[in-house]
Amino acid sequence: MKTETRIPFYLAWKYLQRGNKWTLLLTVFLMAVAFVNLIFMSSLFNGIIDGTNKQIVNTMTGNIYITPKDGSDNISNQENILETIENTEGVEASSPEIFVPASLEFNNQKGNWTVLAIDPDKEKNVTNVSQKMTSGKYLETDDSNSIIIGRQIAGGEGVEQDAFSLKGAEVGDKVTLSLNGLNEELIVKGIFTTKFLDTDSRAFITNKTLSKIIPIFSHNPNTIIVKTTNGVAESDVIDKLRTNGINENIYTWEEAAGFMSSVTESFLSINILISFVGVLIAAVTIFIIIYVDIINKTREIGILRAIGIKPYIIFTSYIIKAAAYSVGGVILGSVVFFGVLVPYFNLHPFVLPICDAVLVLTKTDFIARAETIMWVAVLSALIPSVAVTKSKILKAIFGK
Amino acid sequence: MDKRTILNIENISKTYKNGDIRVSALCDVSLVIERGEFVMITGRNGSGKSTLLHQLGLLDIPDKGKIILNDQEVVYMDENKRTMLRLKYLGYIFQEYALIAELTALENVMLPAMLIGNSYNAQKKAVEIFRNFNLKNKMNRLPNQLSGGEQQKVAIARSLINDPVIIFADEPTANLDTTASMEVLDLFKKINKDGRTIIMITHEQEELKYASRLIKLSDGKLL
Repeated sequence: MKTETRIPFYLAWKYLQRGNKWTLLLTVFLMAVAFVNLIFMSSLFNGIIDGTNKQIVNTMTGNIYITPKDGSDNISNQENILETIENTEGVEASSPEIFVPASLEFNNQKGNWTVLAIDPDKEKNVTNVSQKMTSGKYLETDDSNSIIIGRQIAGGEGVEQDAFSLKGAEVGDKVTLSLNGLNEELIVKGIFTTKFLDTDSRAFITNKTLSKIIPIFSHNPNTIIVKTTNGVAESDVIDKLRTNGINENIYTWEEAAGFMSSVTESFLSINILISFVGVLIAAVTIFIIIYVDIINKTREIGILRAIGIKPYIIFTSYIIKAAAYSVGGVILGSVVFFGVLVPYFNLHPFVLPICDAVLVLTKTDFIARAETIMWVAVLSALIPSVAVTKSKILKAIFGK
Repeated sequence: MDKRTILNIENISKTYKNGDIRVSALCDVSLVIERGEFVMITGRNGSGKSTLLHQLGLLDIPDKGKIILNDQEVVYMDENKRTMLRLKYLGYIFQEYALIAELTALENVMLPAMLIGNSYNAQKKAVEIFRNFNLKNKMNRLPNQLSGGEQQKVAIARSLINDPVIIFADEPTANLDTTASMEVLDLFKKINKDGRTIIMITHEQEELKYASRLIKLSDGKLL
């Protein structure tokens, strides 16, 4: 590198090395605050979106959601279809479900909720409802007079939808399931809480219980939920399922999520808006910091010009200095974010009605926001330093 | 132009705007400076001394007139070329030392030389100047660790590093005590004796004896 091209780096290094340490620390700290501000809100919304998506996948739809062919109410030839699904590359597990158009009654409290007849052993492999039992136990395949209900159906003090619930049904209580004019008394075997309102407004019975009430329903699922292997794209598995001869309607969890997908889309929109405002705030903050720094050096810049230092050398040195501030800010901000905030919110997540949200920052988001901070810093240095180097030398030195 | 002439100024004028009023700082000033002269410019406050020095030193552009430096017309030269001329041929000493606070005395002196050579040669040359100025033991200090006189000597050393043909000094002793002022003036005398042209502004009568020529200004005109 020619000596001349090294001089901006030389000057920037000397400014950083010998400048006021408190100013340096304060500037890096403010850069770090601007960076954390930029990534915090974004990662919180990412966390909510991610948490909601996981809730949908893990408690309701699995990764892939299969429904009967158009014109059919049920998936026929269940055994063969399940075998084909489970032998497809990228499929970890599958579980057939039967939607039962039933109502539940307890102590004169009656309501219609989604009741699903399942094979508990298979369902366990796809959803995590079995791990969310807050009282009682999960279903077993041989259960024929038991039901497990979500927290929103059971109701009770502190339950969000208590007004529309069974108002305090507990494990061991008998609830009446009414289906096609037939009534069956079932014992509440367990109550689950997934913190996802839609799932917590569901009840599960075994296929054996359903076939006891109406035998024709058994072995004719109207949904099969599929769990895919981690890291495998759902669309690839869907393609393979189709190739393997599954002619039913196959959806990704996003397509099956219904109104929840519009909720996550709204979060995404809010996130973009908040990120934009965050960038503006960071840009203004950084611009002010760098601008004040350079304006304080106006006389020095004038002197450098007077002794024959080329303007590009002067403003490049300030740009390098600003870039160094921003790198320092990003490093300090990352230490605070990943070392303090992320572990803290992992231990104390934001409790929302749909999920417990933690901070989620993708690599792309991190890089994009770090680059934003750096570009803003560079532009903030470029504008005033070029302006000072373009102004009259005497004005820079003497202010006149 | 005579071979001995280093700077030839023909009818330069400069006006400044002070609010709504235009102030004539220089009015048709013509002047010839020869190589090796030690010229002192005197005059009352507001007489146009600094304005003249700034035009001669290419820190400002006159409204009209010609400035010929070393056979080159410089008034209409583009800023990049003027910057190069300032770097290679001119040296400056300001009233308030004007050193870069974050650079040591040695680094301040080396900086202009690094632009036209390599760091090693720049350092070698700077150390030599410090030795001649009896400042070698202080060359690694930052400006705020030096006295006013020492800082001004460092500024003089910086002005010499690229072997300029003319050195401009704007009241270099204004902020110094008597002893430091004498030291600085002795240094100027030595530099002038080595053949360097010096143009200096002063207010002090006792400093005029160092000059080989005096130029008096009043209301923007030469007397």
